[in-house]
Amino acid sequence: MIWNRLYLIYGIVVVLLLGAGAYRGWSFTSVNEVKNVPRSIRDNPGSYRAIYASYHHYTGGK
Amino acid sequence: MSPSPPGEPQVQTLACPHCGAPLTLRSMGRAVSIVCDRCHSILDAKDPQLRILQRFEAATNAEVPLIPLGSRGKWRGSVYETIGFQERSMEADDLPYSWREYLLFNPYKGFRYFTEYDGHWNDASVITALPEVQAHSAKYLGKKYKHFQSCSATTTFVLGEFPWRVTVGDAVAVTDYIAPPYVLSSETAGDETTWTLGEYLHGADIWNAFGLPGVAPRPVGVYENQPSEIRASAGQIWFAFSGLFTAIFVIFTLSQLFSQREQVFQESYRFSPSSTEASFVTPEFELKGRSSSVEIRTETDVSNQWVYLNYALIDQDTGRAYDFGREVSYYSGVDSDGHWQEGSQQDRAVLPSVPAGRYYLRIEPESDPSLGLIGYTVTITRDVPVLEIYLAAFAALLLPALLVSWRTYNFEQMRWAESAHPKRSFGGGDE
Repeated sequence: MIWNRLYLIYGIVVVLLLGAGAYRGWSFTSVNEVKNVPRSIRDNPGSYRAIYASYHHYTGGK
Repeated sequence: MSPSPPGEPQVQTLACPHCGAPLTLRSMGRAVSIVCDRCHSILDAKDPQLRILQRFEAATNAEVPLIPLGSRGKWRGSVYETIGFQERSMEADDLPYSWREYLLFNPYKGFRYFTEYDGHWNDASVITALPEVQAHSAKYLGKKYKHFQSCSATTTFVLGEFPWRVTVGDAVAVTDYIAPPYVLSSETAGDETTWTLGEYLHGADIWNAFGLPGVAPRPVGVYENQPSEIRASAGQIWFAFSGLFTAIFVIFTLSQLFSQREQVFQESYRFSPSSTEASFVTPEFELKGRSSSVEIRTETDVSNQWVYLNYALIDQDTGRAYDFGREVSYYSGVDSDGHWQEGSQQDRAVLPSVPAGRYYLRIEPESDPSLGLIGYTVTITRDVPVLEIYLAAFAALLLPALLVSWRTYNFEQMRWAESAHPKRSFGGGDE
């Protein structure tokens, strides 16, 4: 009997988290958050070092 | 004889006519057989001379009762004393199985039994009403019991006293019917059939009631009438799942209805992979309202080509940036298998919980310098529904429910594997 109570509590937490996520717009996209980016980037975009710039690109095809 | 409180068992001391060892007679006039625990003579308790009925050789590792004879405990409101012990054996698939039976006595309530097999215990009593036996079941007091197994059980060891003529080597035909936590058993010897009703119990309850030292042996495997604690919960868990799933659906519907899907930016660009400096920033745009999801959709004209876009969504006022990269690639062609294609010319990324503010996007495209111009359009929309979180919530609710069902299924498989009707497939019936 304890299992169904535990499940119900767990399920309610999941639904509440879902409600909060739906309201706040949560998603699973991997994003790197960077703080205090200098305003000078507007004038010199090349001065910003993109986190993902060294990504290994797929150049395949069949 | 020492005086005992009313309702409590009384004892009488005798001597074994074979070895002279003292014998304790606990059930008074009810005993028919008594066993000398020193020389293993089975004596006729009704005979004033204690005539020897049988002598048996006990192995040096003979069973020692887990509940010592003479132990007293309060059980179901009455004081019972353990007066007899026997081990019985059967064979199934050429393998011997043994279980132990403890005979309990109260002068007012009579006899009852504790049976034990691999740490699984039952509290059993002889019933007087006759169950209605059907093909693969039996009905008793309106409850249906499923046939579990039939076997021949032989008494292999005895100690103490018994209200029947007991001998080692006694064989009876035993049939068990189950409705967990109950087991209905018939024992037939000759023309006589005795029915008992047992209820599964935890050894710890016996240890507590009889004040036994140590702890009860840990049960091994699943016993025939062992109740599945999780099975009782499975139905309620699925009921809860249906309610919670409805809640998810309601949230999803509300989200679909009230998401603003506000497009805040759209612009088309062309990119030359051979250019030396490709990074640039977009004009400023505003995200209004509460923190919400922000969708960055990229539509390109790549064909047998790839483009990688380093994006940074930057809050102009706070300097906070959301940095991420997206690859868009699309390949197609024709070979011996026909037309093929891989990838897509479009991409969608949804940034989580972006606060309101004035933003701009830094874009730095990359591609193979040997390739030609690439055209692409970037569209930014705030407050879009994110389907993934609903799928994740659904999975988070479904998996535990499935796990409970799987454990219930496994439990029943293990139970019936020991029966005459092993279950062989998911959802399959007997045999």
